[in-house]
Amino acid sequence: MLRFASSELSDAELALQGEVREFLARSLPRGSFAPGLGMAAARDQDFSRALAARGWLGMALPRRYGGSERGVVERFIVVEELLRWGAPVRYHWVADRQTGPLILRYGSDAQRERFLPAICRAEVSFSIGMSEPEAGSDLAAVQTRARRADGGWRVSGTKLWTGGAHENDWFVVLCRTSDEDDRHQGLTQMIVDLHADGITVRPIAYLDGSEFFNEVLLDDVFVAEELVLGEVGAGWAQNTSELALERAGPERWLSSYLVVEQYLRERGAADERARAALGEALAGWWGIRALSLSVARLLDAGQAPAAESALVKELGTRFEQDVLDAIWRLVADEPDPASESLFERLLAAAILGAPSFTIRGGTNEILRSVAARALRA
Amino acid sequence: MTQALTQAQAQALALLRERGPDPDAESALLGQWLLTQAGLDEAGGLVTVAPGSAHDSVALRGERLSGTAHRVPWADEAERIALLLDGRVVAVERAHVTIHPRANLAGDARDTVVFEDARAQPGAGMEPDELLMRGALTRIALMAGALDRVYEIAVRHAGERRQFGRPIGAFQAVQQHLVTIAQQAALAGAAAATTARRPGGFEIAAGKLLANRAALSAGRAAHQVLGARGTTREHPLGQLTCRLWAWRSEYGDEHRWSTTLGAAVARAGADSLYPAITGGSTVVSL
Repeated sequence: MLRFASSELSDAELALQGEVREFLARSLPRGSFAPGLGMAAARDQDFSRALAARGWLGMALPRRYGGSERGVVERFIVVEELLRWGAPVRYHWVADRQTGPLILRYGSDAQRERFLPAICRAEVSFSIGMSEPEAGSDLAAVQTRARRADGGWRVSGTKLWTGGAHENDWFVVLCRTSDEDDRHQGLTQMIVDLHADGITVRPIAYLDGSEFFNEVLLDDVFVAEELVLGEVGAGWAQNTSELALERAGPERWLSSYLVVEQYLRERGAADERARAALGEALAGWWGIRALSLSVARLLDAGQAPAAESALVKELGTRFEQDVLDAIWRLVADEPDPASESLFERLLAAAILGAPSFTIRGGTNEILRSVAARALRA
Repeated sequence: MTQALTQAQAQALALLRERGPDPDAESALLGQWLLTQAGLDEAGGLVTVAPGSAHDSVALRGERLSGTAHRVPWADEAERIALLLDGRVVAVERAHVTIHPRANLAGDARDTVVFEDARAQPGAGMEPDELLMRGALTRIALMAGALDRVYEIAVRHAGERRQFGRPIGAFQAVQQHLVTIAQQAALAGAAAATTARRPGGFEIAAGKLLANRAALSAGRAAHQVLGARGTTREHPLGQLTCRLWAWRSEYGDEHRWSTTLGAAVARAGADSLYPAITGGSTVVSL
């Protein structure tokens, strides 16, 4: 049976929400920047540093590593406000969400000392090195291979869909270190310098022409022994727990939020059709947010709600697409990506971004299978 | 509009979610509540409420009531029938009316009540939406409870029923239906838990909207999982889905609640949109 328990925010949590809202209204007022759609927002290290200064990066990390030990729900509150505001979160996004907690859990003391304080200060950025040409949903099929070398490893292979590889500092690479009967064994995670010798980053143009995703070729790249993350051969379990950090957060249901808000700002809700679409959208967000928050509460309670997370991500990302379609239907004209109207630009960007909503971080088909394993009498 | 529930009302609401329709619980939450709000004596037996159908034709002249009210739950068993007429609450003794038994899609009593110059007890005034919201609150609880049971039935069946040499739950196509049911039951459950805690206008509107949508999609998915077996009169699934479909129309359909909710946030403006999602009725009133 699934564990969803709805809850209210405590007074302290509401106070944090108020602080973030006040900070955004003051330091990033509407009209002063080009808002982005959820995780696809702009990159701005100075903005990330400003968040860091308030203790809003690495919120789940211990104080001795520069974190603020505030837990999953409080990070949820901060992230939710940043995303719905369209704030430039890209510089710190991966490091704050998953690499920091991953290194805290599996990293050596030296790795923690080296990376965690820098993550909390927004001085280091990370990409994700999971997917490959022959390993998409079936991640255990990775072919990137590391061979022992003097003082470390030599890594060769190709990573694909590596977001931000051209602009970030490091990526955590899942690679094969030995061949075993069980292909889930013999995998290892390594922290790899994106500027190391032997790395070639090739951009991949997305539907809208932007070049955020990359193909990363690793040709005999040297990785020092001290950059092996966790245990050699135990990469599969580590990677699975890393994926759990990617699921069910507010980024899985807020990608098209600003399209709706800006529609209301520019066009009002003059007719009944628009009011109905708006009401449906509100109810959807209200319900999905309650489920997403309950997953954050479970994580704070030390549980591992893999099935619940998968259910929420599957539901949330489909909702992001549905709500976008509902607003698109209200618009008679073809959306112009270069329109003077911010609403139209956001609508155009969201339409082109929408196919990835239900793919990134695990396709909906995979998520349904993950969730279904927990659906037993 | 947010009116906290008394302890007895909260218990009655929890009972609806756990056990399904119950005339006493509904009387406590709707009938007796309506009389209390109107300053009428709520003591005594079962009070049922005429929900107010578009086909109703009831008129109060002095203290006499004439006309017909439709879709009244368990009118025959009730001691009194309460109505909200032109913003005013009235109560009529069961003994003073004629009842034509009718039923909803699931066979539950939704009677037609005929008043012929019936002696009525007029009470204080009330906004019509207040009754609509109270009614919707009870339906959200009923629907969330029914969806929990639909989920259990579908999951159990998928694990037990074997076709092609294995349990049908081993097939991805069937698993996808189970996921839909689990998601929709979870959404309706969140709606019921939140509205029980905070029965504000925003929460009830959003909650009924979610419960209505869940009734349709989870019901459809569950019938696919159960196959022909779920379509018989005696199978528990059929009774649950028939009730879900009936409750979908009671106390506000999707159109009613989505336009009400949409109009409320449109009035509040774009800057209040996200605060409304997180704060509900503390930010936006319907």
